[in-house]
Amino acid sequence: MAAIIDIHPPRTVRPRKATAESFFSRWLIISTAVGFMGLMFVLPLVVIFQEAFRKGWEGFIEAFDDRATMHAIWLTLKVAAITVPLNTLFGLAAAWCVSRFQFRGKRFLTSLIELPLWVSPVIAGMVYVLLFGAQGLFGPTLKEHGIKIIFALPGIVLSTIFVTFTFVARILAPQMEAQGQAEEEAAMTLGANGFQMFWRVTLPKIKWGLLYGIILCNARSMGEFGAVSVVSGHIRNKTNTVPLHIEVLYNEYQFVPAFAVASMLALLALVTLILKTLTTTRRGAA
Amino acid sequence: MSIHIHHISKTFGSFQALKNVDLEVKTGELVALLGPSGSGKTTLLRIIAGLEFADAGEGSIQFHGTDVTNCSAYERKAGFVFQNYALFNHMTVAENIAFGLRVMPRVTRPDREEIDRAVAELLRRIALEGYGSRYPSQLSGGQKQRVALARALAVGPQVLLLDEPFGALDAKVRKTLRKWLRQFHNETKVTTLFVTHDQDEAFELADRVVVLHEGDIQQIGSPQQLREHPKNEFVADFLDCVMI
Ligand SMILES: Nc1ncnc2c1ncn2[C@@H]1O[C@H](COP(=O)(O)OP(=O)(O)OP(=O)(O)O)[C@@H](O)[C@H]1O
Ligand SMILES: [Mg+2]
Repeated sequence: MAAIIDIHPPRTVRPRKATAESFFSRWLIISTAVGFMGLMFVLPLVVIFQEAFRKGWEGFIEAFDDRATMHAIWLTLKVAAITVPLNTLFGLAAAWCVSRFQFRGKRFLTSLIELPLWVSPVIAGMVYVLLFGAQGLFGPTLKEHGIKIIFALPGIVLSTIFVTFTFVARILAPQMEAQGQAEEEAAMTLGANGFQMFWRVTLPKIKWGLLYGIILCNARSMGEFGAVSVVSGHIRNKTNTVPLHIEVLYNEYQFVPAFAVASMLALLALVTLILKTLTTTRRGAA
Repeated sequence: MSIHIHHISKTFGSFQALKNVDLEVKTGELVALLGPSGSGKTTLLRIIAGLEFADAGEGSIQFHGTDVTNCSAYERKAGFVFQNYALFNHMTVAENIAFGLRVMPRVTRPDREEIDRAVAELLRRIALEGYGSRYPSQLSGGQKQRVALARALAVGPQVLLLDEPFGALDAKVRKTLRKWLRQFHNETKVTTLFVTHDQDEAFELADRVVVLHEGDIQQIGSPQQLREHPKNEFVADFLDCVMI
């Protein structure tokens, strides 16, 4: 009995000391994390807006009164409008495959879904140039039929799809796997066809995860630089998306317009962050 | 409606879960499928419902003489109550029960008032009046079980497949529900196949009992036949009676 008491010191002393230590280390860890994030994320964000408004509201508005800028915004919206719905469908299909079926090569497909996360976007762009470019594998055939993919919208869309493919699938697959398919089976025995089953049972179960994936996919498709840069050719008023256009402006020392347009992307990031937090809470609550 | 199961086998990878099963459930019969855990009871039920497909070959399944071997679950529309309920968690109790009616094709679908009336009637039947607007997470196990049953019954199935309907409930609730099911079956005479690993339950409820072991049917017979003439060691041992 005495030995046990020796090993475990009186309770009244120990906890206070423990909290004191953990308070200090916790404080250290939190302040390091907050300081790092402030330096790396918040400060740049502040700088972007500060530069954008260097010449006040008028300078800011003026930046958008420019044909090339408006064209870049319009092109980016177009690319996102094509990419996001397609990748939502692809992502749903991929997540469905991975979570509902057992088949050979399933593990390979699962890691393929993550490919865009560990392959450099530049490589994604290069692959399309090698396939569809003038000197590429399908180049001559495409030229014969007058189809232009590289240095044109299709190429930009293709490489954006490649880069953003992962989001919806990656978020949904584990969620759908965990939920199982008992409810879907119940729906089928009650006479629901495939569409009714998806619409009334599956979709309500995954809607917050799906929304989360779509938001991330959208943010990335509007902000993608590397892959698009390779295939677009930077043709002003033609194939310059917003990120590429920002670089062009910056390189031409047009700082206020460059940061004004950049602030749009920053705003998109902030909105994404807010929506992401909201959907994550809802996902947690559901 | 009768169910004919003819030479059904099921293999998962290299594991044979069902071995050449033959079984007939007559119209209006209440048959119990009895067997130890892992004997293939759920697998057989799922194959009958069309949620799983038997190994290709000579096996076939007929509903009332019509071959449904290659029909999907939603074409067969067998009422199925799952071992773990599988209620729609994002729908209320009333919406759960109404589901089967709401997904009917427009021509045969009852109108909204008829559906509401049918749901109210079913809620009364399962003694859950006033629970219609609750969500499944707000129900006890026994209540969930009854909702699952009502949901399956709403579409008026010709065949009812129950997978351990009272499995997760305490002895007292089991007894009440058992009585309730027997009475319900007497009233409606829906052809019913229910799974259990509780022999008392099987003997008390069923017209006939099927004993399954390692995917093989050991014996089919009335409770009395089984008790008095167990066919082999396993049946005798499992039913805890002496072989004569
Ligand atoms: N999808 C599957 N993949 C592989 N094996 C399976 C699958 N489903 C069932 N099995 C195997 O088939 C056998 C029969 O399973 P089944 O679920 O039919 O048993 P059961 O009689 O319902 O048991 P319990 O009383 O525990 O519910 C088990 O050995 C199980 O491991
Ligand atoms: Mg089972």
